[in-house]
Amino acid sequence: MDAPHITQEQADEYAIGSLEPELARAIALHLAECSRCRDMVREAERVAALLAASQPLRRASPRLRSRVFAAAGIRKPGPAWRAFTIGRAAAGLAAIIIAVGAFSGMLGLRTQVNALRSQNADLQRQIDEALSQKVALAALTQKLEDQQAVAAELRETLKSDSELFIALISPNSQVAAVVSVSPERGSIGRLVWDEDQKRVWFVASQLRQLPPGETYQLWVNSGGRYYSLGTFAPDDAGFARYETRVPEGITSYDTAVVTIERAGGSPVREGPTVFFVTELSRLTRN
Amino acid sequence: MDGNPTPAGIRNLDRTVEFARPADAALADRTDWPDETLMLAILERDQHAFAVLYDRYVDLVYSAAYRILGDPGLAEDTTQDVFVRLWRRPETFIAERGRFISWLMSVTRNRALDEVRARGRRWKREGGPLGDPAESAEPVFHAAALDPGATAELNEERLAVRRALNELPPEQRRALELAYFGGLTQQEIAAVLREPLGTIKTRIRLGMQKLRRCLERGR
Repeated sequence: MDAPHITQEQADEYAIGSLEPELARAIALHLAECSRCRDMVREAERVAALLAASQPLRRASPRLRSRVFAAAGIRKPGPAWRAFTIGRAAAGLAAIIIAVGAFSGMLGLRTQVNALRSQNADLQRQIDEALSQKVALAALTQKLEDQQAVAAELRETLKSDSELFIALISPNSQVAAVVSVSPERGSIGRLVWDEDQKRVWFVASQLRQLPPGETYQLWVNSGGRYYSLGTFAPDDAGFARYETRVPEGITSYDTAVVTIERAGGSPVREGPTVFFVTELSRLTRN
Repeated sequence: MDGNPTPAGIRNLDRTVEFARPADAALADRTDWPDETLMLAILERDQHAFAVLYDRYVDLVYSAAYRILGDPGLAEDTTQDVFVRLWRRPETFIAERGRFISWLMSVTRNRALDEVRARGRRWKREGGPLGDPAESAEPVFHAAALDPGATAELNEERLAVRRALNELPPEQRRALELAYFGGLTQQEIAAVLREPLGTIKTRIRLGMQKLRRCLERGR
């Protein structure tokens, strides 16, 4: 497996119970899959157990034995045990008969409470285990959803690439060069206008990052009127790929420009022009 | 049941662990059976096996519970819960996870700390009822003098760890005890002792190292 192994120090801390709960849970999950680390933790748990066992010993009350057997529901103890206890039982029989009458309800209740408490502790541990599994499952589910989102994004990109490729080879598409207004920079990209798919692609590189509050906006002029095709921003490398639909009501354009407008875009062309679009043939001649 | 446990073993995650089957002549005296064989018998509802295991470890369980809870009544309640659980759910002892004593002490510690938590966080804030047990008025007896049923190996290891604990610097011992018996995390120990977290981690690491070394020397 790929997860790193735990250290001896972590094994000790886990065994002695001094880790933060989140880390202890993570290690427990790892141990379920890693026999090497499990062996290390077993050894550390042995040391921790001996730490408990090496404490000064105290004798448990002899009465505790009968309590435990009663709570465990053991009604018929073994012969050795019966022989051991029968003498005392006979000696105290009269007292017990009286005491049982008075306290049987209380003892029964006590036994039930203890049994319930034990069951509750067991249940709590089962809940903890289930929660650990739920946490692990949630992490896996999240990872799967993330991967599905990445896959969906890749599918969209692939579909868009296919459509752009079709537009580039279509005889009804118009491909123009995107040129900077600064003469020294020249062509930086292409504008592809596909009448068949009713789509427009703007692809360019070497775009500078704009300060906050400003955005690039693409416009086409058709019949003397400018139509906004929307705003876009380059990535960190200065590359922009923007795709949109052909505006309703027009089938072709005369010119196109990119301006810098306020963030969110402008309803009318106001900002300075930074790029314009020219026919590829004209660019070649220049 | 009174019969001998079958050698089927306790089913584990990926394999079956088998334990030695005692000879018929030994059936009458389960006190010679190893812990794991007794657990196997308990799995088959052998009350005598349970009685032997109880007698073998009740004082250890009670002492550990008392060390955590600092109260005889609560320690008895915890001891009862531990053994009732052992009888009702013996399958939770997974033999492959380690020795029986490790499992038993772990169950005892968890149950006692559950009780501490159920009684609020006050003990934790105050560092837990972790005074020196020798200061208590309750009678304390020494490991070497009892538990005839426990294995000689366990007794030797307990004494070795006891000696090693006594040789630990007090601050290392305190850090180990607050973690194991107080149920405190390293962050909480650092807060209680007002020491940097790194110092507490070092103390626990060195303390465990010394205990382990002492056990290895004894082998």
